[in-house]
Amino acid sequence: MKYDLFLRYGPALLRGFGVSLLCWIVGSLGGALLGFVIACLYRWSAWPVRWILQAYIEVIRGTPFMIQLFVLYYGGPYAGLVLSPIQSGIVSFVVYGSPYFAEIFRSGFEAIPKGQLEAARAIGIGEFAILRRIMLPQMMVLITAPLTNFVIILSKETAILSVVTVPELLYETQTMAAETFTFVEPFLALSLFYWLLVVVTAELGRRVETYAMRHLRRSASAT
Amino acid sequence: MTADPSQSAVEPIMTVRGLSKWFDDFQALDDISLDVNRSEVLCLIGPSGSGKSTLLRCLNFLERYQAGEVRKEGRLIGWQEGSASPRKPLRPAALREQRRHIGMVFQQFNLWPHFTARQNVAEALIQVQRLGRDEAYSRAEAALDKVNLGDKANNYPSGLSGGQQQRVAIARAIAMEPDIMLFDEPTSALDPELVGEVLAVMKQMAAEGMTMVVVTHEMGFAAHVADRVGFLESGRLVTCRPPADIFGSEPSDPRLRSFLQTYRERNVV
Repeated sequence: MKYDLFLRYGPALLRGFGVSLLCWIVGSLGGALLGFVIACLYRWSAWPVRWILQAYIEVIRGTPFMIQLFVLYYGGPYAGLVLSPIQSGIVSFVVYGSPYFAEIFRSGFEAIPKGQLEAARAIGIGEFAILRRIMLPQMMVLITAPLTNFVIILSKETAILSVVTVPELLYETQTMAAETFTFVEPFLALSLFYWLLVVVTAELGRRVETYAMRHLRRSASAT
Repeated sequence: MTADPSQSAVEPIMTVRGLSKWFDDFQALDDISLDVNRSEVLCLIGPSGSGKSTLLRCLNFLERYQAGEVRKEGRLIGWQEGSASPRKPLRPAALREQRRHIGMVFQQFNLWPHFTARQNVAEALIQVQRLGRDEAYSRAEAALDKVNLGDKANNYPSGLSGGQQQRVAIARAIAMEPDIMLFDEPTSALDPELVGEVLAVMKQMAAEGMTMVVVTHEMGFAAHVADRVGFLESGRLVTCRPPADIFGSEPSDPRLRSFLQTYRERNVV
């Protein structure tokens, strides 16, 4: 093992990790936001809107991320959409993740017993307050685990961005490997970075879940 | 007292006229007309599937219906006034404005499990009446006191018995100071020993002059607390008379007679 390689390529790897983090965090947040909007529109719209959203979900879910990325990055300019590698990486991440996020939110919406919503409507509470005060807090308990899971999957999908020359972690790792004719060291570093990301994300997810379940825990101890 | 409500001197708070509702091909309600007078307790009884819950749910427009109308203090509930057929429902904000004055209690309580009893009661005060948190909480506590649950304000629903949960649900409705309360089989999901505490609260509300429409299988409550009892069968309002007429003598209507017979056999009335 050539440990000095880590020192020499450390800054580049860290920069790559930073780019991966940026694409992942912005892409996940954007994807979750878009997915949430899709799930809400789906729930509170008439059939034409639902039909369009369903088609969108099927198309995006039914095609590989790499193809979507290629279409956006190489095909975009033909439609007048010229994006830098990082921009196209983030945008395609948002688009790619949105139907999965939407489905997670939809499953959360459907898990709230109808009677609770009926009670809220019968007393005159508006739909937005129902969503914010009654549905979301209870959904959090159910959807935090699948959300964490999907965000972890997304974190590793960032590696695919290297194919459109986004200078992210895999890209920098491959550069290091090519320049030094080593394999163990660069890919060991790569694995460590991804592992770190996954461990931190999973722990964050657990904390959010514990927080979301606080009323269940307290009421259990109150009996 | 007269059997025909239109001859009564009392001003009805709610009027139902020619109400019919279909679920696809099945007619759940068939040309129902009914008045609910102010400060009256009206019990609706009848076999399962007779349409009594559906009728109740039409009163606050939780169910849409195809024909007829429900008016509260003259105002059409749920539909836009004078809109041609097919009628247009009110805008959501207008419907919410009507519903805030109509309290409802459900068979399954339908409390929000992530809120404490106090929060359950205060929620609509905050979201609908726009009260500040402190005022909403103190009014919520007053409402919980009325249902004898002042000491359970901090409990979550899962830490309450069924009877207590239903009383929180009642407090949630009365905190809004409704003009009329709708009860949809409020004791049907309760263990027998918990029924009494809920009925006691309802009796107290009746004594205080609350207008109540109660769908129930509690014939004792209907017989002793109701001012009038409506009997539904196959979506039709067969009769609506004072309880003495319903439960006292042998009823002339054969459907009502056979319905009450099942209760008499169990020695309930």
